[in-house]
Amino acid sequence: MKGLITLYRRELASLFYAPMGWLLLVLALLGNGLVFWAFLAGAQGNVSLALASAMGRGWFFWLFLVFLPPLLCMRLLAEESRTGTLEYLLTAPISDGAVVLAKFLAATTFMVLLWLSVPVYGLILQANGVAPDWGAMTSGFLGTVLLSGLFVSLSMFASSLFQAPLLAAFFGILGSAVWLILPGLLDLVMAQLRNLLAAQIGDWSRAEAWLGNAIESMDVLKHFGQSFLPGVFDSAELVFFLTWTGFFLFLAIRSLESRRWRA
Amino acid sequence: MIEVAHLHRRYGSVVAVDDLSFHLDKGEVVGFLGPNGAGKTTTMRILAGYLPATRAERVEVAGFDVMRQSIQVRGQIGYLPESVPLYREMRVQEMLEFHGRLHGMGRSELKSAVPAVLERVGVLDRRRQLVGHLSRGLKQRVGLAVALLPSPSVLILDEPTSGLDPLQRREVRNLIGELAREHTVLLSSHILAEIEMICPRVIILDRGRLLADGLQHDLVNVLHRERVWKLEAAVGDGEAAARLLGSLPGVRSVNAGAREGIFQPFELRSEVEIGEDVGALALTKGWAIRRLSEERPTLEELFSALVQGELAAPGRVEPGAVAEDEPASDSAGAGSPLISLGMGSIPMAPAAPVLPPGTPPPTGRTIYSLNPFDRGASRDLSKPVSSEPDGEQEAGQ
Repeated sequence: MKGLITLYRRELASLFYAPMGWLLLVLALLGNGLVFWAFLAGAQGNVSLALASAMGRGWFFWLFLVFLPPLLCMRLLAEESRTGTLEYLLTAPISDGAVVLAKFLAATTFMVLLWLSVPVYGLILQANGVAPDWGAMTSGFLGTVLLSGLFVSLSMFASSLFQAPLLAAFFGILGSAVWLILPGLLDLVMAQLRNLLAAQIGDWSRAEAWLGNAIESMDVLKHFGQSFLPGVFDSAELVFFLTWTGFFLFLAIRSLESRRWRA
Repeated sequence: MIEVAHLHRRYGSVVAVDDLSFHLDKGEVVGFLGPNGAGKTTTMRILAGYLPATRAERVEVAGFDVMRQSIQVRGQIGYLPESVPLYREMRVQEMLEFHGRLHGMGRSELKSAVPAVLERVGVLDRRRQLVGHLSRGLKQRVGLAVALLPSPSVLILDEPTSGLDPLQRREVRNLIGELAREHTVLLSSHILAEIEMICPRVIILDRGRLLADGLQHDLVNVLHRERVWKLEAAVGDGEAAARLLGSLPGVRSVNAGAREGIFQPFELRSEVEIGEDVGALALTKGWAIRRLSEERPTLEELFSALVQGELAAPGRVEPGAVAEDEPASDSAGAGSPLISLGMGSIPMAPAAPVLPPGTPPPTGRTIYSLNPFDRGASRDLSKPVSSEPDGEQEAGQ
């Protein structure tokens, strides 16, 4: 545990050592500010709606989520592997699991810092006499943290697979984007398959429905939108996010272990 | 302190370490020698817990099993890989503090230990400098400081002087010499002269196999059974002098060279120490001796001969296995082919690799393996896999 905390602190500090960290921070602050300002005007002064737009209701938020975690995580394992410091870490008295977890927590903390500007806008508005809906804001922020954790874990897994950071970032972005558009993608694929296979297979509506349900249950947009965004805290949604995050972290740990074999 | 028995490591179809066995006692300083691709780094990485063995009977460091108790092992060793992996963005002091905390050192302990270890490796004045701004030599020293900080019982140093200039090499060499008093050190280097100076004992590997393991002195004695003496003396009749020298007990052959002024050079080959007898003969005959010395092969010559297959690999040579004056046995000398090595001629001693004391016999041994691709192996470390002696026909669990 002590090793995990030590490594977490180092990793968090290292994110600020690199220019990329500051660049992402500036971009996020700028983006959040612009989105908030644009949506505040669009929502005709509805502060809560404008804040929600900066935190899940607007496309900019999802664009951030697809790009920022992979760019942040690309150096966490891939870069360490390239520079050789991974050998240092993997011969230190700390488990592979603790290495992955410390890096994950550091990257997620950084993401939380990126999103903190939205509640800060809320506080500023409150100070100026316009109180936002703090319930929805808190729940939305919690959902954002969970979402960030999920995409960071996915990006960590991508980072664990490659030695080249750019390749890790590319596959991290690709993986995140595909997951976000998975239901739409499925509809597209199904439509093609329906035409192609209808003659050969006949009625396969049951299999199609089963696949549709499975994909729908993985729909991150839906899980976030129906629970955290409107201000409803549902423990099932919490389990959904934690389970998938845990799954990707597990894959990242196994991938890191397999590096020892592949080394 | 380090116990390795029947260690194997493969990279796909390439065998990096092939049935390697050796042990290091507490306080020993051992040099790992071998050409590129001999398996030195792989073995060191396995000992450091970075790589798992493909198969092994036993790999232990400080009493802990490297495969099953990797974290405990990592807490016991100071490991300096060849690449000196340090975080470039950290300052020297921060790097050491980070490393100390990973090893569970407290704030007060670090406060005294960090300056002390930096002072010891001679980089105390650089403690506020970024690691990325240091020269290769300074990085090497910081790497050593990192390895030394938690006072490990075992130091594993992979090419600690590579990339250094001669002056830096000497400094690092002196430092390692000092460390040898407090730690068990396993050190690899391409520079044989360095190993010759620092390490009393050497382990020579080639293509993953153990060629020789023993004290340098014993290895020379085992491999260099015929002793070569150089004599330059002012003798009247060279031929008569050669006959007299040839009559000395233990002398196998005498070769007289071309006379240089009044001095006649001779090359004598013997099985025993003959210096005193030659001296006494010279005194009796009134010869003026300009030179009388024994030519012994250097470690480099032995290494080259072993790796190039000019000498039979003796495997493990126990300390004092061959006494200085012990004559070569008939089986080792007579009838064996003579090969040239440096100044001397050495009979090939037929010898099989000898395992370290306490190593169980190779038949019916128990082997565990973490490699999921190792046929018949189990990844459940609580259940070792029985293996046939040839290592190919493991019995499943």
